[in-house]
Amino acid sequence: MSRAYGPLVRFLLVGVLASSLGVASVDAQPSIKLGNLVDLTGPTSDQGKDIAQGRIDATQYFNERGGINGKKIELISVEYGFQPPRAVAAYKKFVEEDKVLLVLGYGTPDTEALRPYITKDKVPYLSGSYSGHLTDPRQTPYNFPGGIDYTSQIRIFLNYVKETWTDTSRKPRVAFIFADNAYGRAPIESGRKYAQEIGVDLVDEEVIPTVFTDATSQLLTMKKKDPDFAYINTNTQWVPVVLKDSYKLGLKTKYVINNYGLDERTPALAGDAAEGVIGIQDVAYWGDNVPGMKILMDFHKKHHGSDTHASPYMRGWLWVIVAVEGIKRAGDAPTGESVKRALESLKEFDTWGLTPPFTYTSEDHRPTNRARLVMIKGGKVVPMREVSVERDMKWIGK
Amino acid sequence: MKCGGFRVSYRADERIFDTYTPIVALILFLIVLGTVPRFASTYWLDVLNRIGIAVIGALGLNILVGYTGQISIGHAAFLAVGAYSTAILEVKAGLPFYLAIPVAALLTSMFGLVFGIPSLRLKGLYLAIATLAAHFITAYVIIHWEAMTNGVLGFMVPPATVFGLPLDSDARIFYLIFALVVPATLFTKNLFRTKVGRAFIAIRDRDVAASVMGVSLFKYKLLAFLISSFYAGVAGGLMAHHSRILFPDAFTLLVAIDYLAMIIIGGMGSILGSIFGAVFMTLLPEILKLSATSLTGVYPQAFGFIASTRDIVFGLAIIFFLMSEPQGLARIWVRVRSYWKLWPYSY
Amino acid sequence: MTDHLVFMLQLVITGIAVGGVYSLMALGFVLIFKASSVVNFGPGELVLFGAYVSWATILAMRLPLYVALPLTLVIAIVLGLVIERGVLRPLIGQPVISVIMVTFGVASVIRGFLNMTWGSDTRPFPVLFSQQPFHFGPVPVSPVHLWSFVVVIALLAAFSIFFRFSLTGMAMRATADNQQVALSLGVSVKWIFALSWCIATVVSALGGIILGSVRGGVDFSLADLGLKVFPVVILGGLDSVAGAIIGGVLIGVLENLSGGYLDPIFGGGVKEVAPFVALVIILMVRPYGFFGKVEIERV
Repeated sequence: MSRAYGPLVRFLLVGVLASSLGVASVDAQPSIKLGNLVDLTGPTSDQGKDIAQGRIDATQYFNERGGINGKKIELISVEYGFQPPRAVAAYKKFVEEDKVLLVLGYGTPDTEALRPYITKDKVPYLSGSYSGHLTDPRQTPYNFPGGIDYTSQIRIFLNYVKETWTDTSRKPRVAFIFADNAYGRAPIESGRKYAQEIGVDLVDEEVIPTVFTDATSQLLTMKKKDPDFAYINTNTQWVPVVLKDSYKLGLKTKYVINNYGLDERTPALAGDAAEGVIGIQDVAYWGDNVPGMKILMDFHKKHHGSDTHASPYMRGWLWVIVAVEGIKRAGDAPTGESVKRALESLKEFDTWGLTPPFTYTSEDHRPTNRARLVMIKGGKVVPMREVSVERDMKWIGK
Repeated sequence: MKCGGFRVSYRADERIFDTYTPIVALILFLIVLGTVPRFASTYWLDVLNRIGIAVIGALGLNILVGYTGQISIGHAAFLAVGAYSTAILEVKAGLPFYLAIPVAALLTSMFGLVFGIPSLRLKGLYLAIATLAAHFITAYVIIHWEAMTNGVLGFMVPPATVFGLPLDSDARIFYLIFALVVPATLFTKNLFRTKVGRAFIAIRDRDVAASVMGVSLFKYKLLAFLISSFYAGVAGGLMAHHSRILFPDAFTLLVAIDYLAMIIIGGMGSILGSIFGAVFMTLLPEILKLSATSLTGVYPQAFGFIASTRDIVFGLAIIFFLMSEPQGLARIWVRVRSYWKLWPYSY
Repeated sequence: MTDHLVFMLQLVITGIAVGGVYSLMALGFVLIFKASSVVNFGPGELVLFGAYVSWATILAMRLPLYVALPLTLVIAIVLGLVIERGVLRPLIGQPVISVIMVTFGVASVIRGFLNMTWGSDTRPFPVLFSQQPFHFGPVPVSPVHLWSFVVVIALLAAFSIFFRFSLTGMAMRATADNQQVALSLGVSVKWIFALSWCIATVVSALGGIILGSVRGGVDFSLADLGLKVFPVVILGGLDSVAGAIIGGVLIGVLENLSGGYLDPIFGGGVKEVAPFVALVIILMVRPYGFFGKVEIERV
């Protein structure tokens, strides 16, 4: 009769799972609910873990200080594996069942997939996707990218090339190396146009797959065009492969990497190949000398001191700080619309020094046009200088 | 109360249900189903919609794998072709949805035909690997044929309109989806009452013997791929309308594996199995998500830990079912039902 | 040497080097198939396991290398035993599709377990090989690739001798050929299965160490590379050790050549899909690969 135990065990398992649904205490007080989308099992899970941890920690920190306008923050978190359909399903639950006020989005697929929905439902969406397409309130009124957008970053790169180029006999040559997905491709079109505008020669574009171990053939092809500079638009976990292969081939090209591609971990991941590589820093690195860093470091040490803490962790905190400020300014009975307006009232808002001050307006959802160039020297990430691009309305939404 | 099957005429042998009771029950069930959108929340409607789409897809896969024994890991590719074809036909050729979906399904079945050709030479494992390759090649084409599919940037699909009424909410799409689930199930059931269906089963059981008996392997294997991909095409078209924006990311290899899991856990070679499997695989992540969210409310720091249990539970579910009940939920259902019917003589 | 020739030569040599890594992964697959006719559809996850465990022992636990590496291999052996005993043995005799799905299930569990234990962020992999490239004429090759090639050739030699001359090796081949007859001759088939899985997990663990070194870090995407194994084993033959090596090299070269020549025409991505196109062609023309055993179906 051992066969009969099978169904019994299954029933018990389901029962346990089902009863856990009731475990969460029903709060009698009103709370402010925020939806939270994270990727912990998919291709960007390396960022996701720290981002999720940062958001959870920041929420707990604010709750320990009384929440927002006296109401506790409730973070409703869903892991969606970087798959748009799961993001859409989670969103529907956020809006219908949990009645969230604002969604902390994650990356390009979920943000793009949810665009029509959030506009219709009037739910502000603070996302880790800094795609330029999301910065125009005329197209995406409820999207608020959480950092300097990719298009501005590629413009910073091209400006840097132009400024440091001293050879008057020819124009500087650049190449774009980017990932074969929506995030990687986001700024390329604008990059092409801007390069043409300021007189920089775009000689090559190389596509790297989302998952790969070897970029030699792409780099060999690029070598034929001999670019002086190359911009890499992909994540921290993939950039070292490109750098290492480039080092192996002895390429003379100088690399500039976007905000998600270079952080405190890069020198360890890429070793010698990372020397002299430049990155665009959007958020403070762990241990940087900014006002908010001590709060983060103390909190992290108190609750899980031995865990990792690269820049995605700071970003997690950052977005919660911005969201909290927006909701606070919306007053005692915040709605999606009032929070949107409140966010748009943020002017030179100090994000505890973690980023340059944020300004959103009702015409421009680009939070900042300032960043910092950093360089890897002697195995460490060293700041070079502050840079900025013009808040040119020509590039909004592109 | 009947005990055993006494069919005394050829006509009676062909019947699906022996008595009128199941038919009445089924009709009542459908009526109740039809009233669900009035009071269910969008979230649950979304889940039900996804179940409906999964049922159609699983039925198709079961025809190919469960009934005809041709192992295919390429189902995600077929769904993708169906979804993108529907979207492209509607946006670029201006076809209305009631033409776009069937035409797209026909295109998908042609596509399936092409991928069925290796099945004439390859069996079992080798066919599985060939379909795996087919999946990657299809994915490549979809990502890089940007002129048609918009590649990785996503393809937006306008809502289907029925007499001017746009089907842009889960409640409305629900009717469309289930209006197709019912005939799909009925068609499948009828398929296996005909010569074609029996030929499929013969091929699965002993294909050499079947060909000796006169079953043309060439014709019926390709037909199996054709029909199975047609179902996938319909499911894909419905997916396009349900999610309204198509990304290549929505059709990864994991999707194909999910569908295979559906028919294995549900029961291969069984229509009820396809339905059970579709329900199970769609609900499993939702239940996990719900418990993860509520547990996280109590232990916020454990979120990462809890989220990674999804893979473990999925893997364990597959292993568990394959070890203890290879014939899936359908078999368990049959056992439970016959236990009730024959009680107390359940031996 | 003209520029064109140098370019092609660079691609070919890089392809051979990269192919060495593929061969290593394919070897694990072939070993399991050779002995038990089980297809492992989760080779990537076994490699991932090796990469994470070696990271954990070397960096997280800070054990010296001569302790950490053998420890990793021992843990891999344990994993092999667990898989074989717990999951595959109850499924002996079940249809192919069940076995395939079970290996997916196992891969999923391994993945989830690794995620739960160590989380999903990228961990820098310990530097085991220098970064200064060797130069083969005009072509630089990184030491990691060179070493993986050396390891692969060493394993090829070791396994060839093992299968040809040792008693256990012959027993394994006998089991693969016909389990019943092998049983009747006194071969403990259960042991053979366990052994083949253990060898496979160990080889995969080595592959994980190499792959981790190539990437510079460990994270979950390493597992996705596992699927590249299929073009390699189809090309070389599902049960041929030599075939795995040659197949790996050929696929590596094919990848790089198509990357170098076709990618610029098609705007990228060809490099990744070329092995699968080759897979389909080979399946149509010569399904058993170059060295595989031709299966004759008996009715």
